[in-house]
Amino acid sequence: MKIMRVEKTLVSTNRIEAFGHRPLLVVQEKAGGARSVAVDAVGCVPGDWVICVGSSAAREAAGSKDFPSDLTIVGIIDHWNPEG
Amino acid sequence: MDIVRVVDELVCTRRVPGLGQASLRVVRSAQGVVSVATDPVGAPVGRWVFATTGSAARLAMPDPTCITDLTICGIIDQWDDEAAAQPAATEQRATGSGPGAGKG
Repeated sequence: MKIMRVEKTLVSTNRIEAFGHRPLLVVQEKAGGARSVAVDAVGCVPGDWVICVGSSAAREAAGSKDFPSDLTIVGIIDHWNPEG
Repeated sequence: MDIVRVVDELVCTRRVPGLGQASLRVVRSAQGVVSVATDPVGAPVGRWVFATTGSAARLAMPDPTCITDLTICGIIDQWDDEAAAQPAATEQRATGSGPGAGKG
């Protein structure tokens, strides 16, 4: 699992049917780092530090084994110090 | 999922049967990495899209038996090119945002 920070929401109207209406968020591993898109399974807001799962665990965490996600947010970290 | 930009269409007549008739796109990330992705959406050249990788890429295709490891899942409605090219310049800490703030 990876510790990432939610940057903003991502709006995509034209998407494949398998994604349904699941919320998508832009996440970063560190400030100024490379961006990824994650499916939000918990309901977080920009600025939250979260834990993300990848690979097949991401599919199951997003709802079903057939969901085509490779990165899913599975938890919001209560307290996180990025420098420590 | 990766955030990439469609830079070109890719025509590939001679291909393995497992790839089917899937349309292909050349995509480039903000870091400049060029890849080829299968495209069930019909993303036009120049648009920013998000693409899923690995085994999830096969499930994103209408036929999950399709041999792919990168599939475009949707077109991003609005994406700031400048922010993507220089992430550090637009970095700002979002503190004190109330519950539900910024949710679409």
